Amino acid sequence: MSELRRVGEVVWELPATGSMRVPGRVFADADLLEAIERDESLDQLRNVATLPGVVDAVLAMPDVHQGYGFPVGGVAATALPDGVVSPGGVGFDVNCGVRLLAAPFSAGELGGRREALVHEISRAVPAGTGRGSGLSMTKAQLDRVLADGPRALEGIGTPQDVELTESGGRLDGADPAAVSARARERGADQLGTLGSGNHFVEVQRVEEVQERGAAEALGLSEDQVTVLIHSGSRGLGHQVCTDFVKRFDAAVGRFGIRLPDRQLSCAPASSEEGRSYLAAMAAAANFAWANRHLIAHRVREATARALDEESAAGTRQVYDVAHNVAKLERHGNRELCVHRKGATRAFPPGSEEIPARYRDIGQPVFIPGSMGTASYVLAGRPGAMEHSFGTVCHGAGRRLSRTAARKQVQGAELRRRLEDEGITVRSASNRGLAEEAPLAYKEVEKVVEVVERAGLAVRVARLRPIGVVKG
Amino acid sequence: MAFRWIEHTGELELELDADTERGIFEAGFWAMRELMSSNESPERIEAPVALTGEDRAVLLADWLGELAFLGETRGLVPDRLASFELTDEGLTAVVAGSSGDPPHLVKGVTYHGLRFARTEAGWLARVVLDV
Repeated sequence: MSELRRVGEVVWELPATGSMRVPGRVFADADLLEAIERDESLDQLRNVATLPGVVDAVLAMPDVHQGYGFPVGGVAATALPDGVVSPGGVGFDVNCGVRLLAAPFSAGELGGRREALVHEISRAVPAGTGRGSGLSMTKAQLDRVLADGPRALEGIGTPQDVELTESGGRLDGADPAAVSARARERGADQLGTLGSGNHFVEVQRVEEVQERGAAEALGLSEDQVTVLIHSGSRGLGHQVCTDFVKRFDAAVGRFGIRLPDRQLSCAPASSEEGRSYLAAMAAAANFAWANRHLIAHRVREATARALDEESAAGTRQVYDVAHNVAKLERHGNRELCVHRKGATRAFPPGSEEIPARYRDIGQPVFIPGSMGTASYVLAGRPGAMEHSFGTVCHGAGRRLSRTAARKQVQGAELRRRLEDEGITVRSASNRGLAEEAPLAYKEVEKVVEVVERAGLAVRVARLRPIGVVKG
Repeated sequence: MAFRWIEHTGELELELDADTERGIFEAGFWAMRELMSSNESPERIEAPVALTGEDRAVLLADWLGELAFLGETRGLVPDRLASFELTDEGLTAVVAGSSGDPPHLVKGVTYHGLRFARTEAGWLARVVLDV
């Protein structure tokens, strides 16, 4: 057993020792904790706690697993203006996130047209590890996307889609000029593409409504068809992270910062380097929101082809959340830079950051399960502001490495098994399918249960997959 | 000269060993070649690479990142180092391969646990790739 000390029903504290400036806090039950202690998550959390300017505590969400620098599922807030910002605390896939669409028909009404719908989505949304096939843009058009996110995509989506996106789909302070030519080149033909790894478009049905009032506000009802889109900022965001990890690594000595892990390279948020990163990161975040916006548009086009125009036009955006981002936020009387790496903002009811129509229920949060298992819709609760800088988990959390997953299941066999369970699968690669097998992940039910028991969010609805297009 | 993939929950960890520093970079090339293999066309392409930096670990990260970048933006599936020169100030190379659609498996090369060190047997490097 580690030195973790239980400080709440599902909260454990890692005391501040050595060069840690604050303690660590882990949200987990006994089973999840056992898995968390098996990899390097806690060592990485200790390292994060050494960052200059970090306040209160560094946090591990119940889906935490070892990453690089920060653990995935890690949260750290630094006090502005001089606390640091760390690109490793955001990750390579800046503003990786999820968007939920709600269809105007039920799974029963969809019936035998399910396979056609999934097939059309797989044709409409470029996926996998190959080259772009995304929207070609001039430099000026890309600059607009970097500055304004989905608002720059005229004729695509609706104003309501933009309104129902975290931060209105645009982070303030984005500066296209802070994004390198190399990052632009990587992202040039990738807007509207899914990418690979754990990215997907999933067609689902609402299996159970768990909080009726909130579900009604979100326009969700039992057996309704939903579509969950998981993607990020593609090569553009990855290169922004690469560029600034290197730049900060070269600069930390000048700032007198000593780090236990070079991937934690950082700079004071108020420094020229820090401001430049925040401007580039915001631009990459805007690119990611535009990416999911365009993917959603393509899902609607696919719906029109597989079903009809009325079904496509009636497919509404529920909300869109980021789970890899650093945000400048006011918490109490403090201005903080909140790093959420594999963690989702979940502000409670009443927050002005939440669109007016959802303000009474709390920020909607979407927690994808592993492929073939349920996903959850949550809503933020006051406990999140009290205990986690308004943050919850982001998914099930990996349990096995990709290699270990491939050793335990064949992609073709998994595909058959999912089809037998009534889930239509479209994936370019059996290898990729095996790497994302459900057995590679923790149980998402346990993860969301911990979040609820900790008072961070409440479960609103459980979504069951009926089709998946895997990146 | 050899490369090995080490178990890592979320990412890919690569260990390289060689008799020489140059051998580490060559081993890294072959590791990336393994990740980037795909359906290739007969069309041959070459890309010059010039990287500067005195920190060998960072130079290795840049080298692996460059190979991923060439795959992602030029469709270069590398299979041969037409030339390679390592100096105290950096490296120059010509990467040769076929035109294809290599997987963009590597999103970034991290500095987490980045290592490039002399050992009794030669040289050893470790790097974690974000996938």
